[in-house]
Amino acid sequence: MRHVTRLATAALTALTALLPLGAIAQDGPLRIEITEGVIEPLPIAVPNFVPENPAAAQMATQIARVVVDDLVGTGLFREVPASAYISPVTSFSAPVQYADWKAINAQGLVTGAVSMDPSGRLNVKFRLYDVFAGQELGDGLQFSGTEAGWRRMAHKVADAVYSRITGEGGYFDSRVVYVSETGPKDDRRKRLAIMDYDGANTQYLTDSSAIVLAPRFSPTGDRVLYTSYETGSPRIFVLDVASVGRRELPTPGGNMAFSPRFGPNGQRVVYSMEQGGNTDLFAMDINTGQSQRLTQAPSIETAPSFSPDGSQIVFESDRSGTPQLYIMPAGGGEARRISFGQGRYGTPVWSPRGDLIAFTKQSKGRFHIGVMRTDGSEERLLTASFLDEGPTWSPNGRVIMFTRETQGAQGASSLYSVDITGRNLKRVSTDSGASDPAWSPLQN
Amino acid sequence: MHAGHVISASGHALLIGWMLFGSFSIPPEPSVEVTSVALVSNEEYAALLAAQEPPGAATDVEAPEVPETPDVGAPEVSATQDSQPEQTEPEVAEAVEQDPVPDQPAPTPPAPEEVADEAPVIEQPTQDIAALPPEPRLEPEPAPRDVPRVAPQPVERPDPDVKVDEQVQQPAEQADNAEEQREEQEATAPEEATTEIVTEAEQPKPLAPTVSKRPKARPVVQQAAVEPQPEPKPEPKPAAEPKPAAETKPEQPAAPPKQDDSDAVAAALEKALGGGETPSESPAPSGPPLTSGEKDALRVAVSSCWNTGSLSSDALRVTVEVAVSMQEDGRPNGNTIRLVSSSGGSDAAARQAFEAARRAIIRCGANGYDLPREKYGQWRDIVMTFNPEKMRIK
Repeated sequence: MRHVTRLATAALTALTALLPLGAIAQDGPLRIEITEGVIEPLPIAVPNFVPENPAAAQMATQIARVVVDDLVGTGLFREVPASAYISPVTSFSAPVQYADWKAINAQGLVTGAVSMDPSGRLNVKFRLYDVFAGQELGDGLQFSGTEAGWRRMAHKVADAVYSRITGEGGYFDSRVVYVSETGPKDDRRKRLAIMDYDGANTQYLTDSSAIVLAPRFSPTGDRVLYTSYETGSPRIFVLDVASVGRRELPTPGGNMAFSPRFGPNGQRVVYSMEQGGNTDLFAMDINTGQSQRLTQAPSIETAPSFSPDGSQIVFESDRSGTPQLYIMPAGGGEARRISFGQGRYGTPVWSPRGDLIAFTKQSKGRFHIGVMRTDGSEERLLTASFLDEGPTWSPNGRVIMFTRETQGAQGASSLYSVDITGRNLKRVSTDSGASDPAWSPLQN
Repeated sequence: MHAGHVISASGHALLIGWMLFGSFSIPPEPSVEVTSVALVSNEEYAALLAAQEPPGAATDVEAPEVPETPDVGAPEVSATQDSQPEQTEPEVAEAVEQDPVPDQPAPTPPAPEEVADEAPVIEQPTQDIAALPPEPRLEPEPAPRDVPRVAPQPVERPDPDVKVDEQVQQPAEQADNAEEQREEQEATAPEEATTEIVTEAEQPKPLAPTVSKRPKARPVVQQAAVEPQPEPKPEPKPAAEPKPAAETKPEQPAAPPKQDDSDAVAAALEKALGGGETPSESPAPSGPPLTSGEKDALRVAVSSCWNTGSLSSDALRVTVEVAVSMQEDGRPNGNTIRLVSSSGGSDAAARQAFEAARRAIIRCGANGYDLPREKYGQWRDIVMTFNPEKMRIK
């Protein structure tokens, strides 16, 4: 018995000795894993910028408004109204009263100042604060420009704010070239127009004497490729945005050519050309005018789009019987099909980020704008309407702009944009009817 | 003799059977007899009572009911006579059952022997006797309205009698209970008030730390238990190590050696320091570990502020581990939030992910997380892993 008692005692002693060890073993920092959050606009406060001289008073307010519109327009931010402010910002250099901004749940705070030189140059500087962290996000920045370019400076401020908070590039300081449409549907007059991404500063690049189609920006945004019927048949033209000068690109045999698009280096152009009733893809050196055949099939190949690295081309072909999407090497060669869903796919556009391909899809009598991975997986339709087509990517690959046409004889075309998540679908304001948008890269 | 007995017995049986079944076959006529019964008002009624008394004598209990009925019925009888024909019809159905009883006593004179044999049968009449009394009531209750009431009641009498007794008792009890319930309702009202107060009480948190001193005392007790064990001593150090980097370095270097010497000394130092400012070291875990529910509550609280809507798709591929030191009132110490590690993306993307996580921790902890104060030692240092896999933009 004594032996058993001793054993039991020893066992209990060992247990009592080990128990606290177990407890202490758990004594490290408490660990929790958070896998689900919320997706909601980030509340951000953008008080009117501080005018550092009287001449800049009006501009200070206007610039702040453009910054707010840019940020809120992304759907990722929500403005904290000025009426909720507790402490006004009267000095750009004064310390921020974080508590006052916390109280109104402003998670981001943008302060800025505007000054105007006697020579008319505008200087804009801003700072971005993470209110709840109680610190500044990045360093303050300053932009300088002409008074006429005040909107661009505001866009640059918004781009910087957007980039610092989201971690990806902005797209506000960019432009869109599109086909402006006026007149009734049976006598529609079309001309090329260019505007800021938000619809401001519209300018017309061509007159409405001839039908124009499918303008496409060069990688630097200084030139535009488009298709014109001014000679009676579709021809490809390249237009210099600054001088509005243009020239026709020569095609082999003077055949009809359309659907051009720049390569990432700005020197190479891919396009479709019809030869003897068959349409194939060609590539052209824009400087030499030498073309190279990329496909040779009895089917229709069109709507080519380079990958950002220039190594591949995604295009549309009906070689399988219905229009589908294919990818082939930039120099031509065997193509592999990437679209396998129900319906007809067209107008593929490679994302500037390189990870997605946007497309138009017609299925069951409706049109969709969708995105898929470059291997055709994870197809996701973002829109659905009577007629959606012609997607184009924002410079940061986050937003897609496209044409939406309404039904009926009175149907009109207009531009819409949608986030690649499918959220924040909204109409882009244009001076007139609009179609076939192409988004420029960020301006320098 | 034997055959004679058989013949006589069978003859009597046939006779009795004819009397019985013949009487049952007659019932259609009782309706006519009923009318005759109605004519019997006073004398025959008394005679019937006298004749029924013998069987009624077997059950003296119900006898008192009989006197009750005549008291009520006697005066009413005169008035009931006019309405009797109407009463007869509803009675017919019941009279069919009741009639054989009065019929039996009539033939009984030849069958007194059977009475002894049918002694158990007499028990049935006793049950019917309960129905018999209604007959006098039927007569005394002339009102046509009362008739339908009378008809169902006789069968149900035992129930109402019982119910009456219970009802008399229960209402008194219910009244008492009702009063008590009202008091309970009054108690519920203050609870609502307290909930409101709690929400308002979130702000006056400086009061809370004073209360939270209690958990400090507990670790002392546990430390005493830990003292005999030399092994636990090294482990509390790692718990303290992450803190020095973030919070207060001076306290830590002083404390660790003290713990090595004796935990009790460290506990005493903690008492002296108060620990309210920066919980530098808890030599041993104070209180039991957080329950899964408490952890979930914290996780949900942080999740509700973790806004990934403004993160880039790159940042949404980064899983970040964020360390934070908590104050005793449940609020995170904003200066201690730091990125422990990240995986899945560039440094820039990790920075965005970390900033979003930091915003979540600070914002939802601005009013203090709902954590058990007695377990402060368990959640003073927290490492939160933010895994955006489910939030990712594909």
